[in-house]
Amino acid sequence: MLSYLSLHDVNAPTIAPTGLAHGVHGPSDVRFQDIKKVYGSVRGGAGTVALESFDLSIASGEIFSIVGPTGCGKSTALNLLAGFEATTEGVVAVGGQAIVGPSIDRAVVFQHPSLFPWLSVMDNVTLGQKCRGEPASRYEERARHLLHEVGLRGFEKHYPYQLSGGMQQRVQIARALIGEPRVLLMDEPFGALDSQTRLMMQELLLRLWQGFKPTIFFITHDVGEAIFISDRVVVMTGRPGRVKLSVEVKAPKPRDYSFISSPEFIDLQGTLLQAVHEAAASVYEAQAGGVLK
Amino acid sequence: MTSNNIQPSARPNAAAKPSSSALFMSDALTKPLLSAVSILVLLVVWATLSTSGILPQGYLPTPSEISQDFTLLATQGYKGVSLYDHIGISLFRALSGFVLGVLLGVPLGLLTGFTKTGNALVSPIMAFLRPIPPIAFIPMVVLYFGLGETGKVVLIFWTAFNYVHVNAHSGAANVPLAYLRAAKSLGLTRWQQFFRIIFPAAIPQIFTGLRVAMALSWAVVVAAELTGAQEGLGYMISDAALTFRIPTVFIGIAIIGAIGLLLNLAIEYLETRIVHWRGR
Repeated sequence: MLSYLSLHDVNAPTIAPTGLAHGVHGPSDVRFQDIKKVYGSVRGGAGTVALESFDLSIASGEIFSIVGPTGCGKSTALNLLAGFEATTEGVVAVGGQAIVGPSIDRAVVFQHPSLFPWLSVMDNVTLGQKCRGEPASRYEERARHLLHEVGLRGFEKHYPYQLSGGMQQRVQIARALIGEPRVLLMDEPFGALDSQTRLMMQELLLRLWQGFKPTIFFITHDVGEAIFISDRVVVMTGRPGRVKLSVEVKAPKPRDYSFISSPEFIDLQGTLLQAVHEAAASVYEAQAGGVLK
Repeated sequence: MTSNNIQPSARPNAAAKPSSSALFMSDALTKPLLSAVSILVLLVVWATLSTSGILPQGYLPTPSEISQDFTLLATQGYKGVSLYDHIGISLFRALSGFVLGVLLGVPLGLLTGFTKTGNALVSPIMAFLRPIPPIAFIPMVVLYFGLGETGKVVLIFWTAFNYVHVNAHSGAANVPLAYLRAAKSLGLTRWQQFFRIIFPAAIPQIFTGLRVAMALSWAVVVAAELTGAQEGLGYMISDAALTFRIPTVFIGIAIIGAIGLLLNLAIEYLETRIVHWRGR
């Protein structure tokens, strides 16, 4: 707990002096419009339907989480929004613009460390800026500040293999935030971390969000994590994935660990766990049925 | 025997300090000691066998015959060419072909591995050519280029190119998807992806290709010199065998082995310097 407190102190300046009042978000920013995504459909074959009639609208500056069983299509939704994959039917749009590919407007934090092992922490964070021809004088100070904010001051010259898993994910977050993206996409970013580290990372994310309030599209299988960080949590059905349940988390941000024991948290957790359990059960039955056939 | 002299001195040393650091020390000492012992045993077996008279006269030179012949080679050379020139010409042929193969093979392999078009164009051809032993091309190389230097360098070039190309190609083709996706999200152009992601990510695999290509270049140069050369280590050992100058053959083989080892060590050294992030 001590280390948590000291980290909190170090990052205290992160918290923005002003901001939007809670719950008041901008107009719809991210829109999934009647999406269908089919994998492996070649020459008219059936293929696997990952998403069908998937409809979603996320407000600007909203922290939005998707939970659901493995194979429910949450990562597919993220890949479509990131522009890594194309929809089979329907349009994904950001700010009214249909997505045609990856963009610096939509930064991604991956589940597994995707830092470039041949680059130092500093070079990993600033690679995009450097490649865009931004002068070093402009981005280096910003990168140093960001690394300071995520608690990695003094690690600029380290290489990824010299960092723990949690530190590597913090570098990934710094790399994603340096360009101040409109949308931050996170694919189970803390899934591989131990629970103490994870809680610290969740608090860190909320503090960083205060900085310029990007829209966050967060994927997790951890219901508690989703409630802790989000304004809204959506549970997906089993395959083909669509929205099963959507709940709002009204607790004001920034939140700290005490939120986890509040009645609101526990209440939401019960509702969401039940929905996730039902979805998981249907996936299991579908798989068992497939085997029996 | 020699082994008996060494082992007892190592044992009480380890037993006297039973702390963990002492255990590490003894382990660090035991391995080189064992290696030294095995080499000594081999030398003793050689000396015993060659002087015993079990083998036919001249089949296995004695240590003293070898050292006499080596002095002769080092001072007089072989067939009017100094030993260093024999070594030099073999190294020149191997290294020039190797360097040319690397200069062309690495960029081409990265390109064909990175682009779908390149992949489709070269993959089937490379898949067919790769399993053909390089020495199978010797007759055609002699026919096209004659017995001069060009033919040998072309043969080594071809050998090195194949292995360097295929490894650079697969290195580029197997770059983790997350690296490429991260690069695209960071706004890297396709060329920036190539130079800043594909190339560095493929370096470990490129080095695998360099190691194989270096070893094969050296092997193929010796093979090419066995026939149709007037100088070089391959020529020296085949000519010495024809005139039954057996110690020279053994010395030549040992020199070929030592140089092959040094070339491999040189590439491994380069690899640890360049791929500093790997395996840690």
